[in-house]
Amino acid sequence: MKRDIIVIGGGASGLAAAISVKKEGKDVLLIEREERLGGILNQCIHNGFGLEVFKEEYTGPEYADIYIEEFNQLNIDYLVNTTVIKFNKIKDEFVLYTSSLAKGIQKYNAKSIIISTGCYERTRGSIIIPGDRPTGVITAGSAQRYLNIDGYMVGKRVFILGSGDIGLIMARRMYLEGAEVLGVAELMPYSNGLTRNIVQCLNDFDIPLYLSHTVTKITSDENNRLKSIVLQKVDDRFKPIEGTQKTFEVDTLLLSIGLIPDIVLLDSLDVEYDKLTKSVKVNQALETQVEGLFVAGNALQVHDLADNVSKESERAGYNAAKYVDNPKRKHKTIKLLSGENISYISPQYIDFAWPESDVICSFRSKGKIEKGLIEVIQGENKVLSKRLMYIVPAEMETFSLKIESLNENEDIIINLEAIK
Amino acid sequence: MYDFIIIGAGIIGSIIARELSKYQVKAIVLEKENDVANVQTLANSAIIHSGHNPEPNTLKAKFNVLGNKLYDELEKELNIPILHCGAFVVAHNKEEEEHLLELYENAKINNVPEFELLDYKKAVKSEPNLSKNTTKVLSLPTTKVTNPWEVAFACMENAMENGIEFQKNAEVTNIKYRDKHFIITINNQTKLESLAVINAAGVNSDDLAHMIEKDTPFYIRPRKGEYFVIDRRVKGFINHILYPLPTDAGKGVLLTPQVHGEILIGPNSLYIDDKYNKSVTFEGLDYVKKNAPALAENIPFDKIIHSFAGVRASSNIDDFYIGESKEYKRLYHLGGIDSPGLSAAPAIAKYLLEDIIKIKQSYNKKNNFNPYRKKRIEFHRLPLNEQLELIKQYPTYGNIICKCEKITEKEIVDAIHSKLGSDTIKGIKKRTRAGSGLCQGGYCEEKVMKIIARETSRSPLDTAYDSPKSKIFKAETKVEE
Repeated sequence: MKRDIIVIGGGASGLAAAISVKKEGKDVLLIEREERLGGILNQCIHNGFGLEVFKEEYTGPEYADIYIEEFNQLNIDYLVNTTVIKFNKIKDEFVLYTSSLAKGIQKYNAKSIIISTGCYERTRGSIIIPGDRPTGVITAGSAQRYLNIDGYMVGKRVFILGSGDIGLIMARRMYLEGAEVLGVAELMPYSNGLTRNIVQCLNDFDIPLYLSHTVTKITSDENNRLKSIVLQKVDDRFKPIEGTQKTFEVDTLLLSIGLIPDIVLLDSLDVEYDKLTKSVKVNQALETQVEGLFVAGNALQVHDLADNVSKESERAGYNAAKYVDNPKRKHKTIKLLSGENISYISPQYIDFAWPESDVICSFRSKGKIEKGLIEVIQGENKVLSKRLMYIVPAEMETFSLKIESLNENEDIIINLEAIK
Repeated sequence: MYDFIIIGAGIIGSIIARELSKYQVKAIVLEKENDVANVQTLANSAIIHSGHNPEPNTLKAKFNVLGNKLYDELEKELNIPILHCGAFVVAHNKEEEEHLLELYENAKINNVPEFELLDYKKAVKSEPNLSKNTTKVLSLPTTKVTNPWEVAFACMENAMENGIEFQKNAEVTNIKYRDKHFIITINNQTKLESLAVINAAGVNSDDLAHMIEKDTPFYIRPRKGEYFVIDRRVKGFINHILYPLPTDAGKGVLLTPQVHGEILIGPNSLYIDDKYNKSVTFEGLDYVKKNAPALAENIPFDKIIHSFAGVRASSNIDDFYIGESKEYKRLYHLGGIDSPGLSAAPAIAKYLLEDIIKIKQSYNKKNNFNPYRKKRIEFHRLPLNEQLELIKQYPTYGNIICKCEKITEKEIVDAIHSKLGSDTIKGIKKRTRAGSGLCQGGYCEEKVMKIIARETSRSPLDTAYDSPKSKIFKAETKVEE
């Protein structure tokens, strides 16, 4: 089956990307592995969605529904309960195999692909927490799904490790559902969640936030269920400080210790990885080193707001449509480099073969900066200089560049400086 | 009345059960855990050693070399996965090279086949990421890797196929001897009678012996080892098992490619007081991380997906203790089966039955013993045309449940209902690999849980992770209390 563009993933990213492709008049098929569209938005029953895009506040499912409605009005073709199992590019065409209960294994060809596969949660395996391996230690997102979709409580006395947004949201959610939430521990001296979530999910419910703390021991009961955790303060090199141990008797430890872009599908392709974003490198059109392969949303970089996922993915959709019109491009790229105090920058390249694509850059800072000056420098030329207030790693910052103002031969470096 | 009761369904108990099923006996295997292979067999390096390391003229040396050979037969009959990767023992300087030579001589005495010394230049050709500080290696081509719990499953399944009974969640709480037979109490309730008892209880083998014997010839000194698992997407980073030179504390921190592509780093080795202590520690994992780089360049530590600890049933004796009780006839102990227990297991089983029990004197062989076990279908590994054929017959092969490992609904349902089925998340993970990949079950655990609940006609509230009491959920939401 031949298509112009195939979008993989039907969450916030895939929906926006497919809609934007269709609006450009191109043929598109969206493939979703779950039984319904909407992705993780479906389990985010709290509000706070839509303020950026619609200037109005919605819950996750409501926000998804707005897109799904438009998606359906545009009569976009899609498959649910369908997993992509194999993916490659042969000559100028992408070939992918899907698997489903309804249709078995099928082969699709496409001129262009948009990867909207989102991200997955870091588990206990990716960090070291000493102690037993009982049940009751579970990622916050899984607990959220069990609670909001399936209707089950994973525990009654809860502690949360990591102050990522899902952890904060789940602190409030478990509390409202009748659990005792004893606290949230964060290794860093600052929170990894949005300020509004600290206020609305912890402060409003008197749930303590332990900054510069981590869990240093897990013990289990005779049924191998979590029995207690030990919380310990860490020094500025993240080493636990002796004598600061505090034991909490809990049956559940939720982990909110980070999200990682899910780009396993790209293993078979010749893409370039970025250790900083833990995803692949793209140009300003969100196109990878593989021509016609676009990546957007949390599969590209983990966003704090679904709204930003939608906006980014819309651009990917628009660009994929433009690619189908004009696939033979003469590439001329320069690099965008993370300089001082920048933990990552996206995109990593600017490609002058994409004059029609806006250069919208996102970055995160390495630490907390009260007042900062962001400077974009190309050789002798200061391309941009902008003051920013209250910059924290938990909040993604963006700026845009005019491609006409850049020269085609020198790389660009982004620096963030703390100022008085 | 049973002829034999085997206590413990780890690799040793399972393989003895299979060996026993060749004879006309009535036998049962009792396991206190909710699954076969749930303690020592589940958490180790998974290596079938060549036999280069054990002290010559020990049971360990003898059975390791023999066991290694016997695995070739098991591979054919039971369709167990084996990675014939070979191993390098790595030396970095003159002093270590001398030690390597001693090991070379040791291998010779132990009758290890096909080993040789290679210089760095030659070794690095087949092992590109070998540490640049390497000067010489001892190459041991017969060293291989398996999936220990799959071996135990295969043996137990085949034993059951040939008439051996198996009962899980059956903890032996008492053993008595009366009128020339043993009376075994399970979970302080049920009593079983048997003419002979085989104690293959691993870390609990000494406690079990104490239930009936005044003077047990060995006691367990549990030793703990901690490991990291690196995601299978690094497959090919190393081609061989890489050993450092052994010390008194054991074989040291190794790099071991696994049959499904992961790489294990570890273990450390520490005597512990509590034999149920399976906890990982900062110190232990730190030790592993610090020692591994002596073996290979640029170890992809950033691809770690999991860490775990395993307990070994080491004993006060420097060798395996395999023999009949001095106080009771027909009570047989398998004590102190630590490394190379997995490698030696097939030889241990034969030795126990043929030389210690002298089974041929009392029991005839079965005429209809079926040595073969059908290969478990790993759907994603089949060629496309076979997949398409199978899906036509069983559409649920099309439903991908674990997307990291591409495990289908059909494989999970089969694992639940197979002869040696399981109704727990961990049991399904051990049988199918659902949840073993990059996201460690973050995506599929919910789906597996629902399939288990559906297939066993239970509420998800009653679905367990491992032991029957290890429920995943505490309650439904907003239930009136």
